[in-house]
Amino acid sequence: MNVILSIAKTTVGEAIRRRVLLVILLIGVLFLVIAPGLQTLSARQNFAVLTSFALGIIQLTSAVIAIVLTVYMIPNEIERRTIYTILSKPVQRWQFILGKYFGAIAALAMMMALMSVAFFAVFYIVQPEARSQIGNIAKGPMMFFVQMSLLAAVAMLFSTFVAPIVNMFLSGGVYLVGTLFNAVFQTISENDQLPGLVKGAAGVIYTVVPNFGQFNISNPLINPGTEIKGETLFFVQLAGYAILYITVALIIAVIVFDRREV
Amino acid sequence: MSLAIETKNLTKTYKARGGKSINVVNDLDLQVKSGEIFGFLGPNGAGKTTTIKILLGIIYPSAGTASVLGRDPGDTEVHKRISYLPEKPYYYEHMTGRELMLYYASLFGIRDAALCDKLLERVNLSNDKNRPISQYSKGMQQRVGLAQSLLNNPELIFLDEPTGGLDPIAHIEVRDLILQFREEGKTVFISSHELSDIERICDRVAIINKGEIVQQGSLDVLLAGGSTEVRAESVSDSLASTLREKGGFTMSYSSGVLLAEIPDTVNQNEIIDTLRSGKANVVSVIPRRRRLEDLFIESVKDDNVAKGRKLFNMVDKGDQEEKV
Amino acid sequence: MKLKRTPLIATAVSAFLGAGLLNTLVTGPHYMDQYPRALGGNATENLSPDQLLVTIAGFREMVAGILWVRADSFFEEGNYDAILPIIRLVTWLDPRQLDVYATGMWHMAYNFTDEESRSDRRYIPSAVALGREGSQNNDYTYELFFETGWLFYHKIDDDYGQAVKWWEAAHTKKDMQTARRNILAMAYMRNGQLNDTTRLYRDLLTEAEEAFEGDNVFTNRQNRDTLESNYDNHLMRMVQRGNFAQERGDFDQGLYDTKPPFDVRFSARVTVTDSKVLQVEGTWGVQPVGSRIRMVLRDKDFPNALPAQMVWDQADRVDLDPPKDITWVQDGLFVRNQRFNRRIDLSRDPTMYPFRSENYIIEFYYNPRSAPPHIQDKFGFNGEGMTDQNFLNTEIRPGTRVLYATLEITRDQLLRRGQYALDRETPIVQTKNFVAPSGAAVNDVLEVPGIRSAQPEQPQARPERPRIPPTRTAPTSTGR
Repeated sequence: MNVILSIAKTTVGEAIRRRVLLVILLIGVLFLVIAPGLQTLSARQNFAVLTSFALGIIQLTSAVIAIVLTVYMIPNEIERRTIYTILSKPVQRWQFILGKYFGAIAALAMMMALMSVAFFAVFYIVQPEARSQIGNIAKGPMMFFVQMSLLAAVAMLFSTFVAPIVNMFLSGGVYLVGTLFNAVFQTISENDQLPGLVKGAAGVIYTVVPNFGQFNISNPLINPGTEIKGETLFFVQLAGYAILYITVALIIAVIVFDRREV
Repeated sequence: MSLAIETKNLTKTYKARGGKSINVVNDLDLQVKSGEIFGFLGPNGAGKTTTIKILLGIIYPSAGTASVLGRDPGDTEVHKRISYLPEKPYYYEHMTGRELMLYYASLFGIRDAALCDKLLERVNLSNDKNRPISQYSKGMQQRVGLAQSLLNNPELIFLDEPTGGLDPIAHIEVRDLILQFREEGKTVFISSHELSDIERICDRVAIINKGEIVQQGSLDVLLAGGSTEVRAESVSDSLASTLREKGGFTMSYSSGVLLAEIPDTVNQNEIIDTLRSGKANVVSVIPRRRRLEDLFIESVKDDNVAKGRKLFNMVDKGDQEEKV
Repeated sequence: MKLKRTPLIATAVSAFLGAGLLNTLVTGPHYMDQYPRALGGNATENLSPDQLLVTIAGFREMVAGILWVRADSFFEEGNYDAILPIIRLVTWLDPRQLDVYATGMWHMAYNFTDEESRSDRRYIPSAVALGREGSQNNDYTYELFFETGWLFYHKIDDDYGQAVKWWEAAHTKKDMQTARRNILAMAYMRNGQLNDTTRLYRDLLTEAEEAFEGDNVFTNRQNRDTLESNYDNHLMRMVQRGNFAQERGDFDQGLYDTKPPFDVRFSARVTVTDSKVLQVEGTWGVQPVGSRIRMVLRDKDFPNALPAQMVWDQADRVDLDPPKDITWVQDGLFVRNQRFNRRIDLSRDPTMYPFRSENYIIEFYYNPRSAPPHIQDKFGFNGEGMTDQNFLNTEIRPGTRVLYATLEITRDQLLRRGQYALDRETPIVQTKNFVAPSGAAVNDVLEVPGIRSAQPEQPQARPERPRIPPTRTAPTSTGR
């Protein structure tokens, strides 16, 4: 456990110094700061547009960070040969993978917390009458963090067998599909004219591809008067889903990486 | 004497494009005794790093066996007792030398800042230990690498090209450190093509070419058999032809100057006597020990790469002698 | 050291199955509850790829906002066809955009018209469906319940039970505006639930009085005064029209404005003067202005047609493209001097009036419940004071005495084909009692029946001072 923690700590230290990540983070924060300028879009729903936009920015920025951060994590260690100094020590490969993973999500958590704080500061200033909502809105980034943890696990799994650039597109693609497929699946499953095969395939994809979409709870958050039915239970279920899926991804990553010649 | 490393028929095969298999390491039998400094030589691409990775358990052999300190190479118990300095490593550059040491120590489960400081002092990095590694010179990086390789007080140290790319002073510092390891009773496994270093510090060597061992043994034995260079002036043509008829050694003769290279197996005194009695003026008699370089080139001479190296080394020779 | 793979793989497989099941059975469906459904229609097809991408990336609400801004410019340009897809899309992207639902319903119900400003009522079922979807998706607020009710009350102006149903639902919402609440009383009235009207006015008045006592501000005073006046008017009308007497059972013993029933003497003739051009004329024996007789010309086999209306909430999904092969013409025939005469030109709107069917029905319909108060003062809330020798109907609107007459007409007649070609026979369909006007008896005097009305057969009897109909004080519209 100490070994995993040590590796995670070092990973965080490295991640928060990576310039490309900091640049992405900076762009995200900039967007959050200019977000109030978009309020003219909808006179009646300032609150909704600002919050929706900000949550969207946080999600998008976090996803890019999660992917860029994770895809290079193991390949970099190999390229710099630092992995040899680690694996020649009493460190198991699974400990290495787990350490890297926990480091990645800890770094992500820090960056997402920073973005959220920036957003809430902006929100506090421009939406004085809705300040009491901040606590509620904070659930959005929290669920995004769970989503990003899942994304990082998937990207980490891919990074054990594909090159970083390929992995960026692969993870990005899976994320896109996983985010989009919710709505598509709904449309497909309710369309009576489609052949059963298509529906079956949709069902398989729906089950296999991580369902990233369901971690986006922006809609109930930005619409006053609406709330998620059985919210706490739903969050627990979502977290459970994420943990199960992360477990799967990490186990496969460990198995692949264990046999991999580095 | 027990063996620190032993391999039997160790083979590592990679599938190349088109399904062709390449044996990067082929049927390798190595024996490294405890407490010795073992040189592992070979041209680039001979399979040195692959062998080390197998011995560290980072990759797995395709055939054959390897044991390190009597156990499987990948064994965590083994890893507690060995250490490794990779070729041209890049450490986590955001860390200071000291942080890096603490990090690596923690991977051994060691929480001992004093030990880290002591080791940094030992590699002369006390003054720089709080600077980030990104500001370190190559030599300093190599030294911090050496320091980290001592964290667990290892019985066996793998050094991959430990002096590669270092300036002369750093080179000497590293070499001296390795010599200290021997005094501490550690087994050191050095992979290098810096022949002069190996020759100076190693007890035994193995020469590997194209994945196969071509020479293995103690340096004293391998380099046994030298020659003597005799230079004489005012040598008459008849005297020269007499000597040429005698045979058993190589000589050159032109306008009264004769240069002979006489192996130890031939009676040198007899030739010198012959020269003297023929009124020739013997200017110099220089005994020449056989060099590791010669052995190396002999061992890999059928190799095109090695041939190129030979040419290079001939040009280079003067330099090396100056250094010596 | 190599890992023991079997237990790892077993764990991975079971975790994977667990995740799949959790997703498919629990979290997935649970999540979709947060994004209420659009009722039918593939909304995404109208998104450009970049918009779709942005949408998927979690900016649904923002894209919805931008699209709505674009829709606004289409409204200004009058490009109504472009608006519907946007409305559909916006409500799919962000099912909480109340304005978009409300505007969409209004747009579908009111803005698709022919050259003579008759609405295309084939859109109304979809407008109702949009209202149903919007209110389901936003059942925390009264707004879309109110809007849907308004569609029945004002645009459909019939089927008042639906208005009552929707507005009663709106009343259960916490945010229901005080000023909008008394319109339910009007809906009760038109639906024949007079006692509910009384009860609601009384309750609202009590509330308004309490509110005024609690906070002596102008708006509270105004609200109380309005309700007081509405309540008074209502009670007075119930007395005057004999409703209380009916309940007591002594209606026959008193004199009421609604007694005896007034014969409206309806007759009608439809002449097809040109292809798809109708001249509709007839009689309506009521002197006062304000009578408007509904005329419907529709396919005889029009789907889900009912007498003088259709099943307005028949659509289970919002259809941006209502069936274009069926014909429904609906118009109001304005009565002046006891006659109506209107030229209806349907030739300029072939999409709205395709005339594909062979046979058509022309319906004439008058419902006293829709009548303005000064007419109701004679006809009663439910037509108690109205009759017609030929066309009184007490069946098609249970509880109401309405006028309902039908004529049949063929496609050839309407299009003037075959034997009805322009140089041949002019198609004329008419009620049996239709008598062509003599042309002499044009009477421009507007008469209002008195409280104690004389024989209705003598409408030229001593005219009384016209009563000024009470202004409807209830704020109704949302201000459009």
